Formats: sequence, C-alpha cells, structure tokens
Amino acid sequence: MSNKSGNAYGLTTLIPIRAGTPAKCPEGMEGQTYAACLRYQLQDMSWVSLNSPMAKVPNTYLCRFYILEDVYYEGKPAALEHLKSNYLVFTANLHGELRPWLEGLWRAIQPEISALLQNCYGFETVHDSESFVAYIEECQLETTFYFNGSTDEPLDVQLKSLYLKQEFSKFVYENQGKTTAQLQAAFAEFVKRTQPENTAGPTWRAGAYELDNVTGAGEA
Amino acid sequence: MSNIAGKAYAMNVITPLRWYTAWITRFIFWYAGKRPATTLGLITLSLIHYARWVIIRPDQFPRLSEDQPREELKYYYMMFFSNFNGSWDQYVDSFSSAIPKGLDLFWIFNVKYPKSVPMLPFHHYITANQIWTDHYYNAYPMAASNDVKAAKRVRDNLLTFVAETRSATADDFQQKYNALLLTLQHDLGQMTPNPIVSLSAAAVEKRLAREIRTFSAGGKAEA
Repeated sequence: MSNKSGNAYGLTTLIPIRAGTPAKCPEGMEGQTYAACLRYQLQDMSWVSLNSPMAKVPNTYLCRFYILEDVYYEGKPAALEHLKSNYLVFTANLHGELRPWLEGLWRAIQPEISALLQNCYGFETVHDSESFVAYIEECQLETTFYFNGSTDEPLDVQLKSLYLKQEFSKFVYENQGKTTAQLQAAFAEFVKRTQPENTAGPTWRAGAYELDNVTGAGEA
Repeated sequence: MSNIAGKAYAMNVITPLRWYTAWITRFIFWYAGKRPATTLGLITLSLIHYARWVIIRPDQFPRLSEDQPREELKYYYMMFFSNFNGSWDQYVDSFSSAIPKGLDLFWIFNVKYPKSVPMLPFHHYITANQIWTDHYYNAYPMAASNDVKAAKRVRDNLLTFVAETRSATADDFQQKYNALLLTLQHDLGQMTPNPIVSLSAAAVEKRLAREIRTFSAGGKAEA
C-alpha cells in the first residue's frame, strides 16, 4: 500500500460536492446543482492542454478531474446501492512529495482551484496554503497499488529530454553524409543552441500539443 | 468532457467487491508490490504512463460536514485509474492478451467480474463500469510513454557524448558519434501532434466548422 513508486507520487482524492443549488453559478447555469455547475466549469473549452491551469503547477505529469455521481449496479444477484453525495474525483501523477506539490498548486492557481472547490463541502475552511493542504489531505485516499510505467524524473528534466530527442533526431537526419569536420562543427552549433545541460531552456513547454508552440523558455 | 489529452487516454473504472474478499485483494496487491517480478507483465505493456488501484471501505468516503449525509454502503469499492497511449480497444485487448492471469488476480473477487478472457464479456464489464473524465491534463500531449523513456536515454547519452568529445580529434569524434547513433537507434525519431488533442475540443471545432459552413451557405443563398 503506497502512494509512491520511486519518485512518482499518485494523489487520489474524493471531494464531496455540496447538495442543492449555489447562489452564484456560471452564466447560463442558473438553478443548476453544485455538481452540474462544477462539471460545467471543468469542461471549459479554454482549459484544453497548454491552457489548462494545471500546466502552471510545477512537476505535474498527468492529472484528471471527474464527478462521481453514483456507483454502478452490477445486476442480479448483486445488491443495489447508491451514493448519498456526489464526489469530485481529483487525481494526479506528480514528481516528489505531496506537500510541496500542493503548496505549489495553491501558489500557481489559487483562483482557479478555489472556483472549483467552492462547490464542495468544507472548502469554506480553506484560506491559505496550509489549510488547503490540510483540506486535500482530509479527502485523500491511500493508493492500494501504484504502477509507474514511465520515468520519475522531475518534469523539467523530462521536458528537456523530450526537446532534445526531437532536436537531435532532426540533427541526425539533416547531417547525414557530411564530412567529419562539417559534422563536428554542426554538432558544436547544435550544443550551443540546445544547451543539453540546461533544464531551464530551451525546452518543451508543459502541456504544449503543437509543434509551433512546443518550444519555450521552461516550465512555469 | 474528454478522456483524451494528446496521446494519453484516461480510464476510470469503479467496481464493487464484498467486504469479506476485499482483504484478499488487498493482500494480492501488497504481495505484488513486494515482489516486482509479479508486475513484469505490466512493464511489458509499455504503453502505460501510470496506473493505480484504490480500494475504499464504505467508511472511507470523506465526510467534511454535518450537513453532508453519511454514506450507507454495503460493498467496498475498487477504483482503477490508468493513463495510457492508444485506443480504448488496444489497451483493453492488450491487457486481455498479454496479462490475463495477472488481470484476473487483481479483479477476481469483484462482484460479477467475468474474467479477462474471452474478451467480449470483459469489454462489457469495463464499459459498464467506466466513468468519463471531465478535465484531463497531460504535460506532454505529443509524447507517448515510450517517447518519455526514450528521451531520457537520448539526453543521458548525449550529455556523456558532449563531455567525452569536447576536445576530441575529428576521427575520435566521428567514431564516438557513430557509436552514439548505434546506441540510440531505437530512441530517435521525431514526435508529431495527435490528430485529436481533446475529444471535447474536437467536438467544438467540428460544430463550429459546421455552423460556419451553414452560415456561409445561408449567406450565399441570401446574396
């Protein structure tokens, strides 16, 4: 039973969503439940990929949000049962320890995460980084079995490595058939341009999904 | 709503299991964690970034307020989360084909689990218990799990090569360069974007394109 596998941490939370209808809700969602308003916010189109608030949270490999409305009935002779609350399921695969990651999340996207969690029970007790960490820890479930099929290096190292894989592949292709002297000179230029040791940049941007926006200065 | 973020797919499954068998499943997972050899099959499925199983007791559903009703459940629940590359069918079928016994071991005590072979009942079981993701974020939508692993080898070898050839003669440089390419031959190759970055974004783009076409056609007709 472990939330960790190497340097990768698997955060699993179930955050209970309030029953009833919020006084304030997104435009066009008046009279809808807290869960419906929360889902509407989560599905905001402007949040896709590079523009997801999670792209600003350091060391986030992958994460997801969904709403657990109920459990499924498996058919006879299984028992039929229902959940009494809706839950926001928030999970993340991240590098390092949980507390600094949560503190980084709060620093990076406090307005966005607060807008989501205000639909949930108990969030009125959250007013700073410390109380946010305590809130998430209260909603956390221990992972029974965590499988890490990737590398567990810091995200900036992973992104730099992907950048180098892309650039070096191009370099190899473009420099076929060159003389040794030409190749050595071209490689010196390549190293100067790509700075393989420098994880701060140039590198891939977290969340970028197109070739023309993928290279940037470094992780936010 | 999207289970897709670039090349990664987010699968969420929740299935019930009886309290008196839950401890056996927990023991199986504990044993698998202690003996990495038992998860070699999972490592073989190199399309997985990260996956996890979480077993919840009825009293573990968080209750944060007196206003929140207390859950009254009989079953324990097993939640499964996976981040993988490729399609749903490829993933589920590769589980069935590559590690059917391991898969059955993890799920065997879940209520009405049909076993992973034959595939069709297993497909129905996963489909019936899957929940769609509302927001899925991936730090590298253009990279598959194998790209991330290959990229680490490229950078590690490149750093060594740079250090070793800093003051190398031309001949020495060429020899080491050739050796570098031989070592990295399976790891090189450029990544390109996925045709669909997000299902929801793709749906919106499709709808907008249709509306633009309709509007244009209408505009022409009026003109």
